[in-house]
Amino acid sequence: MSEFYPLQVLNIKKETEDAVSITFDIPQELYSKFIYKPGQYLTLRFHLNGKEVRRSYSLCSSPFLEEYPKIAVKRVKNGLVSNHINDTVKVGDSIDIMLPEGRFYADVKETNYKTYYLFCAGSGITPILSILKSVLHTEARSFVYMIYGNRHQESIMFNDELSALQEQYKDRFVLIHTLSRPNSSWSDLWKTKNDYSYKKGRVDTKMVEWFINEFPPYAQNAEYYICGPGTMIENTKTALKGIDVPNTRIFTESFGGAIEDASVKGFKNAKLIAHLNNQRVELTIPEGKTILRALIDKGQNPPYSCEGGVCSTCVCKLKQGEVHMKKNLSLDDKEVKQGNILSCQSIPLSEIIEVEYLK
Amino acid sequence: MHALPVEAYTSQEWLDIELKYLFSTTWQFAGFVEDVANPGDYISVQAGLNNIFIIKGRDHRLRAFHNICRHRGTQLLRAVGKTQKAITCPYHDWTYDLEGNLISVPKKESEFPNLKGELHKCDLNLHEASVDIFKGMLFVHPEKDAPSIMDFFGEVEPYLGPHKVEELIEYRSKNGEPFYTEEIKANWKIVVENYIDHYHLAHLHEGTLNMYDHAKAEFGWAGPHYWFYEPLVEDFLNDVENAAPYPLIDSVPRDQIGAYVPWLFPNIGITESESAWNTFHVLPLAPDRTLVTIRSKTMNVSEWEYTKQYSKSALSKVWTKYGNKGKYEGDKNDPMASGDFMLEDIYACEQQQKSLQSPYFSVGAQAEKGEYAIQRFQEEVKKWIEKHQ
Ligand SMILES: Cc1cc2nc3c(=O)[nH]c(=O)nc-3n(C[C@H](O)[C@H](O)[C@H](O)COP(=O)(O)OP(=O)(O)OC[C@H]3O[C@@H](n4cnc5c(N)ncnc54)[C@H](O)[C@@H]3O)c2cc1C
Ligand code: FES
Repeated sequence: MSEFYPLQVLNIKKETEDAVSITFDIPQELYSKFIYKPGQYLTLRFHLNGKEVRRSYSLCSSPFLEEYPKIAVKRVKNGLVSNHINDTVKVGDSIDIMLPEGRFYADVKETNYKTYYLFCAGSGITPILSILKSVLHTEARSFVYMIYGNRHQESIMFNDELSALQEQYKDRFVLIHTLSRPNSSWSDLWKTKNDYSYKKGRVDTKMVEWFINEFPPYAQNAEYYICGPGTMIENTKTALKGIDVPNTRIFTESFGGAIEDASVKGFKNAKLIAHLNNQRVELTIPEGKTILRALIDKGQNPPYSCEGGVCSTCVCKLKQGEVHMKKNLSLDDKEVKQGNILSCQSIPLSEIIEVEYLK
Repeated sequence: MHALPVEAYTSQEWLDIELKYLFSTTWQFAGFVEDVANPGDYISVQAGLNNIFIIKGRDHRLRAFHNICRHRGTQLLRAVGKTQKAITCPYHDWTYDLEGNLISVPKKESEFPNLKGELHKCDLNLHEASVDIFKGMLFVHPEKDAPSIMDFFGEVEPYLGPHKVEELIEYRSKNGEPFYTEEIKANWKIVVENYIDHYHLAHLHEGTLNMYDHAKAEFGWAGPHYWFYEPLVEDFLNDVENAAPYPLIDSVPRDQIGAYVPWLFPNIGITESESAWNTFHVLPLAPDRTLVTIRSKTMNVSEWEYTKQYSKSALSKVWTKYGNKGKYEGDKNDPMASGDFMLEDIYACEQQQKSLQSPYFSVGAQAEKGEYAIQRFQEEVKKWIEKHQ
């Protein structure tokens, strides 16, 4: 499960002022393992300042094209890994990477006849780009309507690639750029080309409603994919639900960074019983530590990748006791009700905690 | 008559089988996209044994449900209309949201103590059906998880005309009726067979459809669907800008002008020409009665453009030679002398149906190419019914 493979950096490209894209070489013997669906991500491992850190990055390449796996990393202010990657990674470096995973993906099939609504902002373009390319190239009959939000023109990642796709698939691909702080000379230039290409504002309720009104679905099997920072996902989702889009048709991916609920104090020195990798492990959870960290610190190897409550790789079943999740951006209410918890976010609330990892 | 027995054209038993295993197991034509234009708009249609309504949500996506209240089965919605957020049964006011979820039952606590918890979890939501769009047309299927509409029509799509149907507008009479409706006294399959019979074009319609070059016709099958194309005769093509009865459809490139006349299985034909785009929908009413509805779309240009085209067309020499003569001379009230190809077709269909009663009736011989389609269509009907029985 949480096995890492060293992959070589094949190419690095500066995409914008504060983002790079990286392509990896896949050795032949790993071909059959590094299979992914458009929308899924890779987890990278680094050892920085004497600590092991993992971060997830969505694949922006398409598994349906002859492309090397590619990720794009945008700097996060004071961020440890994103800046490390932007500043130091070079062609030829070897990086430890886990097999692709993730629950956010499009089930792309040649015979599909669907309408895809893609909403993204900032670095949230990465999984969306993979879905976009895969659908356009593979599903000859499907339609794609996409909104891509950015601060201004220079921060648009993959702008050239997107323009080329727009040109190539004019009949069934619409792309609207929204800019929260547009650079006026540029916007004028674009307006003359196509009135729709550019809009001022953010991806919010008003924008979403305008968009759907303007571009109603043709193929009636419509799906809605959302990826972006902060409140963008919630806002878009709320807007869609506000016009009765069924929940089952909405798919979201959060990159993390939400504010955690740190108000709850954990139970001091709670006892943990964990069923992990066919073993029973018993230990004490030091104050302030999560279940996941307590296990890692004791030399165990629990599954995880983002450690940010986003990817749900670290999920386990709570058999006994009570926990508090500081953040939960991936499990839905039903899954929580069934006793699933994110171990990377869980601190104990009772004296004895028993969990079982199923993967 | 070849693949099917004569009873298939005369008996109620056969029609019942067709309604159940053919018209209730296929994607059925339900209208044009613009029939359900705005959120809240709905229409209901009969598709085989099922009455299905299509409603547009605020997300502009269409939903289809069986038009029966889950309480006592009353029809919920009438033919066309508009609703805001809910669908209420006229009988006892049971109410559903636009996702088909049951949301309110009058006197629930006192009358239905067994309905506990949230209503939409009581297994009394509307039965879902499927709806999708193909070439600007709405189609419904009675199953919730119907096979994709493109599994059904995908194969024939490349053989259809290049017309961008969504850009065209529909001709409607002043009271909103479609272009043409007619009850024909013949079995629905006779009407279909006449539509796909290439052999008769140069004969029955020798004076009415001769602006198309029947000798250059191309046709074939794609799945259960029939496709057909023939170019214009040269005289017509050379003067088509003037001679066309309506403004030319601009999404059809000059080198692709012609008549595309596919038959989409089982009961809708399309006639895609240089200046008009028509649907020809066939609905069985009885073993020997069939309702034909033609809806017609043409270019979205001003009244003035139509008037201009009409005058140009009237002056064109093309029509002195083509498309205006009846097969027989005589009284214009005689369909065979009318110079109207629809009347000619109806006449032929009804005459054939009458003969089916005769003990002496049989099909003597069949044109190998020109009538192959008829045999094939009957086989497709038979195959489909056997597969779904
Ligand atoms: C499934 C998944 C896919 C991802 N795909 C991509 C991708 O394709 N491209 C990409 O650039 N990033 C992606 N991310 C985010 C990425 O994994 C890291 O979280 C991000 O690079 C920040 O890591 P860091 O070590 O630089 O920051 P950290 O040192 O971990 O954090 C520094 C500060 O920034 C905040 N922060 C952390 N992450 C974010 C964020 N995403 N937005 C805003 N603030 C944040 C933290 O709360 C903290 O205050 C993805 C994350 C997940 C879970
Ligand atoms: S490791 Fe990603 S949610 Fe816990």
